[in-house]
Amino acid sequence: MKLRKAASFAIALTVVTGLLAGCSKGNSATNAGKEDKGNEGTQTEQASKDVKLTFFNTSAEVNTVFEELFKKYHEQNPQVTIELIPTPIGGAQLEKFQSLLASGNPATIVNLDAGTILQYKDDFLDLEPEKAKYEALTNPGAIDGALLDGQFLGIPWTAQGYGLLYNKRAVEEGIGGAFDPASVKTRDDLEAIFKKIEASGKAPVMLHGADWSLGAHYLGLTYSLQSQKVEDNRKFVEELKNGQVQLTENPQFTGLMDTFDLLKKYNARKSDPLVADYNRDSADFAKGAAAFYFMGDWSWAVIGTLEGRDADFGILPLPISNNPEDFGNAQVAYSEPKLFAIDDSKSTPEQQEAAKAFIEWMVSSEDGQKAIITDMGLSMPYKDLKAKSTNVMSNAVSEYVKQGKIINIGVINYLPQDYWAKTGAAMQKYLVGNIDRQGLAQEVQDYWKSYAGK
Amino acid sequence: MNKKLSLKNAGTFLVFGGPSIFAFAAVVIIPFIVGLYLTFTNWDVRTGDSSLIGFTNYLEVFRDKVFLQQLWFTLKYVFFTVVIANVFAFFIALALTRGGRGEQWLRTGFFTPNLVGGIVLGYLWQTLFSQVLPYLGAKYGWELFQTSWLTNTGTAFWALIIATAWQLVGYLMIIYIAGFTGVPNDVLEAASIDGAGRTSVIRRIILPLTVPAIVICIFISLSRSFLTYDINLALTKGGPFNSTELATYHIVQKAFLSNQYGVGQAEAVVLFAVVAIIALTQSYLLKKLEVES
Repeated sequence: MKLRKAASFAIALTVVTGLLAGCSKGNSATNAGKEDKGNEGTQTEQASKDVKLTFFNTSAEVNTVFEELFKKYHEQNPQVTIELIPTPIGGAQLEKFQSLLASGNPATIVNLDAGTILQYKDDFLDLEPEKAKYEALTNPGAIDGALLDGQFLGIPWTAQGYGLLYNKRAVEEGIGGAFDPASVKTRDDLEAIFKKIEASGKAPVMLHGADWSLGAHYLGLTYSLQSQKVEDNRKFVEELKNGQVQLTENPQFTGLMDTFDLLKKYNARKSDPLVADYNRDSADFAKGAAAFYFMGDWSWAVIGTLEGRDADFGILPLPISNNPEDFGNAQVAYSEPKLFAIDDSKSTPEQQEAAKAFIEWMVSSEDGQKAIITDMGLSMPYKDLKAKSTNVMSNAVSEYVKQGKIINIGVINYLPQDYWAKTGAAMQKYLVGNIDRQGLAQEVQDYWKSYAGK
Repeated sequence: MNKKLSLKNAGTFLVFGGPSIFAFAAVVIIPFIVGLYLTFTNWDVRTGDSSLIGFTNYLEVFRDKVFLQQLWFTLKYVFFTVVIANVFAFFIALALTRGGRGEQWLRTGFFTPNLVGGIVLGYLWQTLFSQVLPYLGAKYGWELFQTSWLTNTGTAFWALIIATAWQLVGYLMIIYIAGFTGVPNDVLEAASIDGAGRTSVIRRIILPLTVPAIVICIFISLSRSFLTYDINLALTKGGPFNSTELATYHIVQKAFLSNQYGVGQAEAVVLFAVVAIIALTQSYLLKKLEVES
């Protein structure tokens, strides 16, 4: 009897200690990682045999393509194993990144927004030694555009552009003839086309009512349009924070908002503008229910595989005034939104080297480029691409890039993380007539003032 | 002898209580204490450093007008959710304890939403509110459903309540059913012999005798609706223009989007205090109404 009691007590004790051990396992692994840094000599031999990398991905819609790539790389380099840390589309991505970092367990490689990398720059590896190599691989200016505060912390691998997308068939049916995109140079030109399309019984434009679209992409242009230089745009934001800017007197802001009033008036979702169903808005545009769409080439991920869609799409700059010469009227917004960066807080030198090799393979090998361009449908700012894109829209954006007709929206990398949510909400209020132009300017200015001195 | 016995008791306690105490400490008590500590620091995951700054974060909470608005919004939301969910659950439970046919199936049906995760449920109702109902509204000319309920502050508030209550009703119903089966049959029979009608049986016999169940149900629905996050995220994302952000949603945004961890955590502590005070007061007051049959 006594023996039994003792036995059961012993079992319970092992269970509890087992639990404790299980919890501390994760810790000891990362501690080991730290120690490795200290005594490299003894560790290199083992590490050259097997390296395990983790990859934190915020491009959630292409998780599976990355996993395929990891497998392929592992087949070619059996000593390197890469594990994906996925995040859900549009949810809790930053939270997860922060918790990994805070628990001392960061991923070796991250695919993050440039702005996030800047905020955590002390935790990432300085890639200065690699810079020359990548400058040779990429399009002119691509690396410059990816520099954060002058530092090369992340490798650009994808490029995105946005503006007024158009559905060629829908526009031509609307205006009753061939459509020459070069004919739209000013806001009045655009309004004339909208009027014709509306008279033909079609909806002229789709205005997606989500806060990210209105706050980051639309209102965000205010900061990028101030000047062609990111530096000057950053200065403008600083002035906003210090309360030195009256937006209602800023020509870029008023121009943008005048165009916004136009889009609002001819909006296909006029009756209920805030529903903001991304899939439905994209599909309706792709099928010709609306002729224009304020969105970017990333919407190809939805449109490309759609049944019964139209074939011909293009992009127009968003005109913000009636002077064709004004900056922005002939340019489309363009950026390298995501960068690959390598952890420098807990990763071993072996892991970092393996990570560098893997990233280079991803962006320069045929397998890697095919996966990014063909399977993900993204465009790459690299030279001599070994795969051809089926993304009609990003090809249209590339035409603008080639001619240098782009708005560099790099200033957004330096904005606080919540700017799009907060100012996007103000834009939504304006969209449904909850506040007027004055009220909008006030709310946006108040938001920036709350960041004064930060 | 006595010493041996107490040692034995401690051992037995450790065997049965140990694992759950360990788990509870690991995921509730320790994080709570660490969280409390965090509210007195300016900790930031980006820089990793933290120093004690006293009550600054708490002062910031009461200066955060948006949070106070959101807290008031949450209180209204909780009030209506608790009332609606409990009234419905009570009467559904009443209807499903009369011994009619197919009762088991109906009970299962009402309980099912509770098994669906909040995110899935949120998206489900989102489709209903922003696609299905406006479609029907346009087709049959119902003024109420012409536009999505989720794009207007007033209606989005009710949409949130409906979705949460719908999820809660099944769970509360089960508790009420258990409560009703505890009402002795002889009392009910005596009442009907004395000529009591259905309404007075409910009012004077069933209601007082199920007070324990009511206390539990209100407690559960209070705490669960105060801590609603997933439905809020999936259904309205705090929109339109952040007007339907519940307190929990605001806290997460504050900490992880605006990077104000200390303030966010302090707001969480304030929310905890509010929930604790309300939940404890209501169970204390309602407990007094309990009677013996």
